[in-house]
Amino acid sequence: MTDKKLAIALAGNANVGKSVVFNYLTGLHQHIGNWPGKTVEKAEGTLHFKGYTIDLIDLPGIYSLSTYSLEESISRKYIAVEKPDLVINVVDASVLERNLFFTLQLLELGNPMIVALNQVDVAKRKGIEIDVGKLERLLGVPVVPTVAIKGIGIFQLLEKAIEVAEKGKREGRVQVRYGEEVEKRIADIVDAMKNVRSPYPPRYLAIKLLEGDEEIVKEIDEAAPHIALYAKKLAKELEDMHGHSCSTVLTSERYEVAGCIAREAQKMIPPLKPTVEERLHSITTDRIMGYPIMAFALLSMFFAIFALGNFASELLGNFLYGLGPLFLKIIGTGIVGELLWGGVIEGIIAGATIALPYIVPFYMILYVLEDSGYLSRIAFLMDNAMHKMGLHGKAFIPIMLGYGCNVPACLGCRIMETERERFLAAFVTTLVPCAARSVIILGLVGQFVGIQWALALYAFDLIVIFLLGRAAFRILPGEPTSLIMEMNDYKLPHARTVLKQTWFRLAEFIKIAFPLIVVGSLSVKLAEVLGWLETIAAILSPVTVTWLGLPSISGITLIFGVMRKELLLVMLAALLRTTNFAEVLTPVQMVVLGLVAMFYIPCIATIATLVKEFGWKKALSITAFEIIFAIGLGGIASRMLAPIL
Amino acid sequence: MERKSSEGRVVPLTALRGGETGTVASIRSGHGGGVGMGWGFERRLMDLGLTPGTKVTVVKSAPFHGPLEVIVRGSRLALGRGMAERILVEIEKE
Ligand SMILES: Nc1nc2c(ncn2[C@@H]2O[C@H](COP(=O)(O)OP(=O)(O)O)[C@@H](O)[C@H]2O)c(=O)[nH]1
Ligand SMILES: [Mg+2]
Repeated sequence: MTDKKLAIALAGNANVGKSVVFNYLTGLHQHIGNWPGKTVEKAEGTLHFKGYTIDLIDLPGIYSLSTYSLEESISRKYIAVEKPDLVINVVDASVLERNLFFTLQLLELGNPMIVALNQVDVAKRKGIEIDVGKLERLLGVPVVPTVAIKGIGIFQLLEKAIEVAEKGKREGRVQVRYGEEVEKRIADIVDAMKNVRSPYPPRYLAIKLLEGDEEIVKEIDEAAPHIALYAKKLAKELEDMHGHSCSTVLTSERYEVAGCIAREAQKMIPPLKPTVEERLHSITTDRIMGYPIMAFALLSMFFAIFALGNFASELLGNFLYGLGPLFLKIIGTGIVGELLWGGVIEGIIAGATIALPYIVPFYMILYVLEDSGYLSRIAFLMDNAMHKMGLHGKAFIPIMLGYGCNVPACLGCRIMETERERFLAAFVTTLVPCAARSVIILGLVGQFVGIQWALALYAFDLIVIFLLGRAAFRILPGEPTSLIMEMNDYKLPHARTVLKQTWFRLAEFIKIAFPLIVVGSLSVKLAEVLGWLETIAAILSPVTVTWLGLPSISGITLIFGVMRKELLLVMLAALLRTTNFAEVLTPVQMVVLGLVAMFYIPCIATIATLVKEFGWKKALSITAFEIIFAIGLGGIASRMLAPIL
Repeated sequence: MERKSSEGRVVPLTALRGGETGTVASIRSGHGGGVGMGWGFERRLMDLGLTPGTKVTVVKSAPFHGPLEVIVRGSRLALGRGMAERILVEIEKE
């Protein structure tokens, strides 16, 4: 049986429920990757329905189809050029007007389309009742009400999707009618473009030319420069008439239409009492109470993760490392066995004892915070502090991610608007001690010097992040952007989506980090087997012994800690032949080691991620800087702490 | 900038106190009013519904000159202060 194929795209604003719909429809048959050559996530999945194999794609959440962000430009190109058989526009019923603004732009692109009127439960709680039939008539496309988190309406949505995709029907839909003077100029441009070939509909091109959309202007300028010039002249006329830029005029009018449709289709009876969500929002963003609540929430999250993680990690580690003798018995204790076990398998175990007990719960909680809407409140509260580093509130999110693992945190910097800010955010993110580094700090300093010293290191880290972030912001050219962010209503997170997101993060971690951890681990073992360790230690001793005041073998752990951060402790224990570090290291040495490990370099997996996101040059300059910085700092600390500790 | 003569006063959005509502008059673009600051913040604001003539209510601002929380077209937005200063709104004269 050969299935017929359909390509369907989900499009809509951020946080409307696209991912929940996507997860419902595709189950585990999905793949998250990047758009070719772009740092924007691409989620694709397949499903089978009524003899069709449907390729579903979850487009990035955007508010417009202009091209001011990569996400917008990618989405628009995909819809216009790849021409999926159907676009499902997912709409948040509780913010109808703003969502319809996007719907109207999709309609201008002219693809077959249906609307999933999602979150009708939220709308109802806010006292918004939407007349679906009327909305359908006003838009001229089918509208299916859904409550995605409960799966309500999803089946009907799919049926309707097939029906419309089969027909490819697109007549009878609304077109935004702009003011007369605008319409006349659109018609003039459309007339002039008769011979221009483009994947975009002529009316759309005309509108975008008037708006001065960079990509479209460029395209037309190459094909027919006189038309681009002509459109510019017409746009200027409109600007003179209205006293606003032409794109402002068109956007305003589009919003007028969206507002009219929303007002006609919905009845609003605001509830008398503020809802629970409303009150929760007020408290958590309160000028005074907001901060202690945030501190409490985050600290208890970290505490729970590291307390439980430590316990679970030890259990898991004991079990897995306990398999060693058995393994060596089977493979033999020759050089191959030793390399396989000590290099490859121990690398995997080390990765697993960090990933499973720390990173997985970390991301689960973080996604709960994100899905519920609390992360955007945190971004709101932290905006001011982030500005001191030339960043805005949203940058706090990758910084928090960094406490789990720097790899996804660097990827998370994509939420920043400009390249410069993504880079700045990634730089400060790599200074955040990840779970592996925390294991070192807590396991060495916290356990043998005192927990207050471990906490002092964390506090010091925050200060350094702040100061270095500020310095980098001063040095890097370009101007800072500002926070523009929607704060959606609080929601109960959807368990399945949270689990799936966590799973995909874990998969990403395994894909990027694991191979490198194994390679690193293998090279450490190889060096040991070849007897290079002493030589390396001796070469590094001016830095480690003279400057940092550490025992000479610590050089080995620092070098190989780049490969596997958490290995630092394990190797230290192996080289010193004890796990009671207090016997062999002075408190000052332990603090210095913790400090250097905290700053001296993101691990090799993080470097690889930086290369992927920002290229070799920037990745290596971050790396080099952090090594020099950490070692410099360590030496100073060693001298300053000596009299105290 | 504003050519229409009207009763109201035109002030930056940051001049509104919590609970006050104004009507967007215009958005001052950065640096010599050239076409868009690098990242097109005016476009983003417009796309989120802050077009001229739209009512915008300031709910509150975060302390120490932090961002503003505003309600626009039924959605709740957080706006950095630097940018909110560029949004000019007209308020009714008391
Ligand atoms: N109450 C309710 N919440 C929903 C519904 N659909 C999605 N959500 C929640 O809305 C939030 C955003 O959903 P998500 O799928 O991540 O949005 P996306 O940004 O469009 O992918 C999550 O917390 C979801 O659990 C719905 O129909 N009703
Ligand atoms: Mg999503």
